[in-house]
Amino acid sequence: MSYTLISRHRPLSLLAALILAQVLLLAFQIKRENNVRLVRYWTVQALTPVERIGTWSFSKVGGVWSGYIGLRNARNENAQLKKDLDDLRMRNRELESEAAEGQRLANLLNFRNAHQEASMLAAEVIGASADPTSHTLFINRGERDHVRRNMAVITPEGIVGKIVEVFPISSQVLLINDKDSGVGALFAATRTHGVVKGSGDPNVRMDYIVNDEKVQAGDKILTSGEDHIFPKDMPIGTVESAKQGNPFQVIWIQPAARLDRLEDVLVLLTQQEFAPKKNEQASAPNAAATAPAATGAATSSSPN
Amino acid sequence: MDTMLSTGVRSESNIEVHKYYSGAVPLVCFLALVLQAFLHKYGRFAELVDLPLLVTIYFGVSRRNPVSGMFLGAAIGIAQDALSHDNPIGMYGIAKTCVGYLASSVGARIDTEHPISRFGLIFILFHFHQVVLAVTERVLLAHSMPMFTLRLLLDSFVTAGVGVALFAALDKLRRPQ
Repeated sequence: MSYTLISRHRPLSLLAALILAQVLLLAFQIKRENNVRLVRYWTVQALTPVERIGTWSFSKVGGVWSGYIGLRNARNENAQLKKDLDDLRMRNRELESEAAEGQRLANLLNFRNAHQEASMLAAEVIGASADPTSHTLFINRGERDHVRRNMAVITPEGIVGKIVEVFPISSQVLLINDKDSGVGALFAATRTHGVVKGSGDPNVRMDYIVNDEKVQAGDKILTSGEDHIFPKDMPIGTVESAKQGNPFQVIWIQPAARLDRLEDVLVLLTQQEFAPKKNEQASAPNAAATAPAATGAATSSSPN
Repeated sequence: MDTMLSTGVRSESNIEVHKYYSGAVPLVCFLALVLQAFLHKYGRFAELVDLPLLVTIYFGVSRRNPVSGMFLGAAIGIAQDALSHDNPIGMYGIAKTCVGYLASSVGARIDTEHPISRFGLIFILFHFHQVVLAVTERVLLAHSMPMFTLRLLLDSFVTAGVGVALFAALDKLRRPQ
């Protein structure tokens, strides 16, 4: 159709083409203000409105998209993100818990490796006493695991208590802060002997220390081994306060083991003395030279 | 046909296309350009006559072919631009292209052999040429070139008068039918 039209008006078409060619020739030569060639000026003038319309259209379309269509899914996305955040927080807590558990187990393993002469059994705390005045807990090891009564229960930080009841797959542990509990103890520095008794409170009390004995807060208390339950020189705790009493001093001790948040413990299958560590050997002469100052030490808990 | 000739109008079936000796057309065009440039040296009188325009009109109306007319006009105009020192190439080219086309188209329809019709045709095409030049200058160069002045009127009369004489001389270059 257009070909026919051009053929019919061939001279006119040629005239138009010839004039256009010369106009373009002129446009390449002529320079307008700012020394811009006319052809560039025309091209920019021709394209600028199109570009402006295009930019305007895109910005409007983009605005509509971002302002309305894009927000249609924002609520769902927000809910999904919140859910993801909750999941991640939960996962984070799980990981933190696993990390803490790993750290505890690593401590237990280190302790066990450091005292390979003693036969130990790792156990997990699975419950506690329902009686608020009774400081006992249950572990997941029992008769099948060769757990017996009066076996010591410890942690790397310090002693925990002793086995008082044994069941086929679990055992009951009497904590050292129970009022029926007693542990043979001595001061790490002076090797003065005494007895650590539970009081029903979180802290324990050390009895049978004469008023002349110089005791101050922060003194380390160790097991004496005289109760035939706990190995000698296991940490019991540190002196929190001491005051004169009648006839003995009233000394309160903060247990070394965190008795209120126990999760994993070790059961000593034999009453085996722990080999002293190298740094402990250096302070050993002191212990040998110190005479026991207390009477009635080396008692275990009252018989059940 | 006689009646038509006397009224100055012909039918297309009676179009008389003139042939020229070989080389006559380019030679005349060349001479017109050279002479125009040469006469410019001799002052204002030469500016009154546009010889390339007259040649464009003459061969346009004689050959009566719009295509060849416009191409001849374009070639003469571009050469005229090239000879000027400040005109961008194409200014006269566009104007003479249009004149060549128009002259060829008109030459096919009216009697262009009579001196009076030749005078009128040159007069009109001179102003048409001026209008196209002015429009082109205004649009492309942003210069305000006048479309009509008394000077241009005088120029058109002089050019038309010279054109009638020139056309008669150029008729001698026609090949016998």
